Amino acid sequence: MEPRPTPIDGFPTPTSKTQAETEAVLIKHIPDPASTSAPPALLKNAHMQFLVRNLIQGFPTRYISQDASQPWLLFWTVQAFSVLQVGLDPGNKQRVIDKIMTWQHPDGGFGGGPGQAAHLLATYASVCALAIVGKPGPKGGWDQIDREKLYNFFMSLKQKDGSFLVAHHSEVDVRGIYCLLTVATLLDIITPELIEGTASFIASCQTYEGGFASASHPFYSHGGTLLPPPAPRPALGEAHGGYTFCCLASWVLLQPYLAEASTPEPPPQIDLKNLLRWLVNMQGIEIELGGFKGRTNKLVDGCYSWWCGGAFALLEALGVGGIQNADSEEVPIDSGPGAGVWDDVDDGLFNRQALQEYILYAGQHPSGGLRDKPPKNADAYHTLYCLSGLSSAQHHVFPSSVRRQQLFDAWKTTDNPQDGLRKKVFGEILSWAEEEGSSHIVGGKENRLNATHPLTNLTITHTEGIASHFYGQKVPPRVLRAKPTADASAA
Amino acid sequence: MPLPDPDGVPLFAERPEWADVLPLEQYEDVNPIAPIFYTEEYKAATNYFRAIVKAGEKSPRVMELTESVIRQNPAHYSAWQYRYETLTFLLASTTSDSTPKGALPPLLAAELTLMDELAVQFLKTYQVWHHRRLLVSLTKQPSRELALIKRSLEVDSKNYHTWSYRQWLLSSFYGADENGREQDDDDEGETIEAREVWEAELDFVDTMLAQDVRNNSAWHHRFFVVFHSGGTEHEAEKERIFKRELVYAKQSISLAPSNPSAWNYLRGILTHTRTPFATLETFVKPYTVAQKSAGDAEKRDIVDLDNPPPSAEAELPCVQALEFLADIFETQGASEPGKENTEKAVELWKSLANQYDTIRKKYWEYRIREAHHGKEPRT
Ligand SMILES: [Zn+2]
Repeated sequence: MEPRPTPIDGFPTPTSKTQAETEAVLIKHIPDPASTSAPPALLKNAHMQFLVRNLIQGFPTRYISQDASQPWLLFWTVQAFSVLQVGLDPGNKQRVIDKIMTWQHPDGGFGGGPGQAAHLLATYASVCALAIVGKPGPKGGWDQIDREKLYNFFMSLKQKDGSFLVAHHSEVDVRGIYCLLTVATLLDIITPELIEGTASFIASCQTYEGGFASASHPFYSHGGTLLPPPAPRPALGEAHGGYTFCCLASWVLLQPYLAEASTPEPPPQIDLKNLLRWLVNMQGIEIELGGFKGRTNKLVDGCYSWWCGGAFALLEALGVGGIQNADSEEVPIDSGPGAGVWDDVDDGLFNRQALQEYILYAGQHPSGGLRDKPPKNADAYHTLYCLSGLSSAQHHVFPSSVRRQQLFDAWKTTDNPQDGLRKKVFGEILSWAEEEGSSHIVGGKENRLNATHPLTNLTITHTEGIASHFYGQKVPPRVLRAKPTADASAA
Repeated sequence: MPLPDPDGVPLFAERPEWADVLPLEQYEDVNPIAPIFYTEEYKAATNYFRAIVKAGEKSPRVMELTESVIRQNPAHYSAWQYRYETLTFLLASTTSDSTPKGALPPLLAAELTLMDELAVQFLKTYQVWHHRRLLVSLTKQPSRELALIKRSLEVDSKNYHTWSYRQWLLSSFYGADENGREQDDDDEGETIEAREVWEAELDFVDTMLAQDVRNNSAWHHRFFVVFHSGGTEHEAEKERIFKRELVYAKQSISLAPSNPSAWNYLRGILTHTRTPFATLETFVKPYTVAQKSAGDAEKRDIVDLDNPPPSAEAELPCVQALEFLADIFETQGASEPGKENTEKAVELWKSLANQYDTIRKKYWEYRIREAHHGKEPRT
């Protein structure tokens, strides 16, 4: 049966016209079941070659537009290798470390290239790339990060409303907040002072649609006076997939502090019900192959596979979806080892199968690399976020209460005055675990990717590696869970 | 040997006025992994830029150099940052005796002219828009910006930066004081009434939505203008505004029912004003059933502003209407001992899951589970 087009209601507008054009292109990528029976393949070799070409030969001239995003180019590339289950050899790892360290600014933080100003986004990409290729010791990168200056750099960007500039004289943007919180969490430099007011700021970015905007802003009178409460504090821009991921991840990262904080004001809140509604509505319909879009009435795009598709795992940390932590007895969700088994026990809130199909059928460029949508070219950014999105649709990674307890039990108490809080943060960030036997891989196990950490978008191993180094803690080994019994599955 | 620039402008290395600067290579001792293949022109400009930043020079020629970098890579945030620092330094150090009162210093005026050109050329770049914010914060002349943004939205009607810049501008300069009127601005020497600006803003949204009723950016802007402009505290006025918006949303839905932007707006204004969805049951119902036969079409001739019917060409039932009606039933069922309405909601969710919105099957099944367990997600 031909999938239905999006209704136009006899009322075409520019939006419905581009939508219909896109659907006409996408529908050609749905294989005809009569003519093919081969499962969709992830072109791992072609993507590897695309990545190797960028890493070893370099990026073509059109990437000049990303000269101020050199840390991102490297992070996207080395993390795409990790998701593809490929590690770099020690020689190339060292070359990556050496390059990253030329971006560290003398006053703290990392810039988009040598001699460029420090920037929150560049700092996240640099530190995360170091999490993948770096190590302790001289020239390993990790111990050459100047954490004290980095903290001071973060504080110098802090605004009264709890937000942060992305760089000096630059804009406030929730992407920067996500980057800052991720880095500060991994490197163990968060203080209550650093993040005071940040959760309220994040909450103020949620729009009436349920998703989050780039920032919010208070009102000023024409004479330049800040209007006092209850003057509105509107979101700037509409709900958007990228900002929504950043806000939601920030919100989850802030939870341990919110739980500790003892302020007279009620804690800030977000509308999870409306957020979930918005997120599920970002998934395109069958004719769009179930790819995700980034805004209402916009087109599907492979990168939102991660920004929107990946956000569902974060919702589980807030009690939306996911039943695995429902009671003290872990409820296993195991639909058996067979690929393509989709049973009722799978409690994902979006269509994981369709999202995988979008990436496999439309997101891959035939000559390597992944993309927004056909007939576009592949690029480094879409290659990573399509792969990460595919990975998050394959694996069920969730915050495990069992794993959290193991980490708490293994915690070596320190005389740090914030020891209790640090233990909590460490336990939370590393509590994410993959449900054994719960992966659903469209196209069979050849298409399997590494699971990525829903908050950091690093692999779980890399997240553990860098966090345990900076917290000075040992990570207890993962105990494989016993195969669930039939009784337990029925629970 | 640097190649000559194709546009005929010699590279910085060939120009005598730059002879005193020793260009600084990006990677001095290492042969970097994953290099970008730069053009000679870009390499030259950024080598000089690094040297200037290192020396901390803030002179008029820095404006020319950073412009060269920005034109080749508008996302070079450090070039923008250094340009702004240089501009403010030069503005502070030049005497303004020669500038007529009320006029902008020539340097600032020139910067605005250049930015008008770059804003349209580099529409999709964060930095272009942020630089404008910095400049307007210096000039305190927001009124000319609204016209420029309008031009830019004609090129790209959903540009995120452009819309959020417009919202920033309005909230930074046009917040109402306690009388709902604005004080005059000395620099511009004219009295601006916030009310006029906001009314014009509503007309602007109308125009944008008339061009494309599915433009979600315009819908979001409408919400911003109507509910976040500081508005009125007067209850009767609030009620009038709410009614007006309700009619607007319903009319838009009747034109093209399967438009999630209009439904989201409708939900947004109901939630914002704490109005129960159930008040719209009569309106919603015709959208939840298959298109009526020709005989019913006559009913459309009766104008009912409160309940505009679906257009003749509407593809019904409409997913968003089914969802809306299910929400009404869910709320009603929650307070009933027999939960009759909950089951009506469940039937609608089942039809969405199995027939009308199958991609979201998991979500509709989740809604059924939640309604049966009567638990709300915690916040
Ligand atoms: Zn994209």
